[in-house]
Amino acid sequence: MAASQAEQTRMVVDGGGYRPQEVIVEVGSEHGLVYENLRRTLPETPFTLVENADEFLAKLRSTGDPFGEGKKRLFLTRYKGEFLKKCPGSEGSVCCNYYVINFASNCPMECSYCYLQDYLAQNPALKVFSNVEDLLGEAHNLFNKHRNFFFRVGTGEITDSLALDPYIAFSEQIVPCFAEHPNALLELKTKSRCVDRLVSLDPKGRVVVSWSMNPQRVIDADEHGTASIEERLEAARRCQEAGYKLGFHFDPMVEYSGWEEDYREMVERVFSVLDHRRIAWLSMGVLRNTPGLKRIMRQRFPASGLLAGEQILGPDGKMRYFHPLRVSMYRKMLHWIRQASPTVFVFLCMESKQVWEQVFGFAPSCEKELGEQIIAAQ
Amino acid sequence: MNHAIEEYGRQRAIRRQTLERWLHLSESDGEVLLEFARELNIGENHLREFLDWMEEMAHRDVVSFRDIVKSSSIEPIWKDPRLGRNDKLRRVKEELRRLRFPRLVQAEREIQKRIRTMGLKSEIQLSVPLALEGGFLMLQVKSTSHEELKRLVGELATLMDRIEVKEVFDYLSGEAV
Repeated sequence: MAASQAEQTRMVVDGGGYRPQEVIVEVGSEHGLVYENLRRTLPETPFTLVENADEFLAKLRSTGDPFGEGKKRLFLTRYKGEFLKKCPGSEGSVCCNYYVINFASNCPMECSYCYLQDYLAQNPALKVFSNVEDLLGEAHNLFNKHRNFFFRVGTGEITDSLALDPYIAFSEQIVPCFAEHPNALLELKTKSRCVDRLVSLDPKGRVVVSWSMNPQRVIDADEHGTASIEERLEAARRCQEAGYKLGFHFDPMVEYSGWEEDYREMVERVFSVLDHRRIAWLSMGVLRNTPGLKRIMRQRFPASGLLAGEQILGPDGKMRYFHPLRVSMYRKMLHWIRQASPTVFVFLCMESKQVWEQVFGFAPSCEKELGEQIIAAQ
Repeated sequence: MNHAIEEYGRQRAIRRQTLERWLHLSESDGEVLLEFARELNIGENHLREFLDWMEEMAHRDVVSFRDIVKSSSIEPIWKDPRLGRNDKLRRVKEELRRLRFPRLVQAEREIQKRIRTMGLKSEIQLSVPLALEGGFLMLQVKSTSHEELKRLVGELATLMDRIEVKEVFDYLSGEAV
């Protein structure tokens, strides 16, 4: 049987071993640090200079699987908007007052549940933005201008924070930038093992490296091209040794027959490998879909068991496991976490106040309160 | 077969995207779905929802659409000559929902059973949100006078001691799921 388009895409990615087939460079991006890093680290990969991206993007959109096809090539271009934005969160959920920097768009990995499949459907190229100096300038200006305000910033909103780092070396720019600002904290969120560059930098306590965690069974079934759980833990251990604080996101939690044993073992494994005092925060969130994303998943990953969960459409337009089921899941996870570490800071991602109340016995009064608790925790 | 499905789609103004999903089913599944759709005169929204549910159940339970539509809990409804189209559709949908979301529907039914067991007066209503989202119990008291309200609140206080109330909250908070 011929491999599906999504399966073919999986063949070019591997938890940190991603290698683009080609680098497309838009005129105006053929100089500068990112371009030079790509040239240096991908000596055998063809580079193609294009006047503008229209033809490349039109060709991409005409394929049967633009999102998957887009991952095979790196597109280097300038970003014309503002790099730093407030995380949009989800309507009706307790938000954590987070800012995002988008240095790239799309991701070389291929998680079947990834919301980017829907979010970037019209813009599926795997882009890296070449004007890093603009990004850093914007961050410096903002942090200097509002010294009384504390910024918690992440780069993993529409890409993986580290999966492309072996080629673009973005960490060598962004970590020193945050290291010099006492009123900012950077979170690098990843499912990769790409920390070789990070561990040679000094974060000065201003960088948290965090991993999305799932049992190996879920990784094998639905997180294609990502690092294994042991590789993620080994990468985390190296970061911890290098002076980074760590974060773990048990998100998306997937419910299946035997999930309790797998997740309990995973929590125990995390705390057996790592020093819990170096863990800045843990978050929990169940699998979330939208009807649009489910349609795409049906086409791209028809065999995924995730489509058959007892998910209900909520008032924010997202589908989650029905309320009592997910509260039960969170309580069990919290119990296992508390057994391993009674004091580590745990929060919920994109959940309502009612769920917070039933899981923790309280809900933050506002996003500012939760944001401040997270900052205090690290 | 495909021609008959196309014709049904044209008559009921089914969207191309939905029709394509139907046409991609095996001949046996497509055929039984056509028989089912004609009997219930299914339109776009119901068809899409049923396709979603049946596709997900087929994958989860390793069964075919034919197995589901012809199952002992579904077929007797849509083939019952005593029921009108609307009743058939409503009951088929309820049953398909039960098959697709077994634990949710079980929790909803257990909660309703406990509310019924309490034998509340018609002036006092207990209810839960759709699909239990929010995990709360809603209480409605209807009163036309101060005296009546005082009496009903007194009865409510007694009600709170009943085991069924605690059990309802156990279901809502995931303790009993």
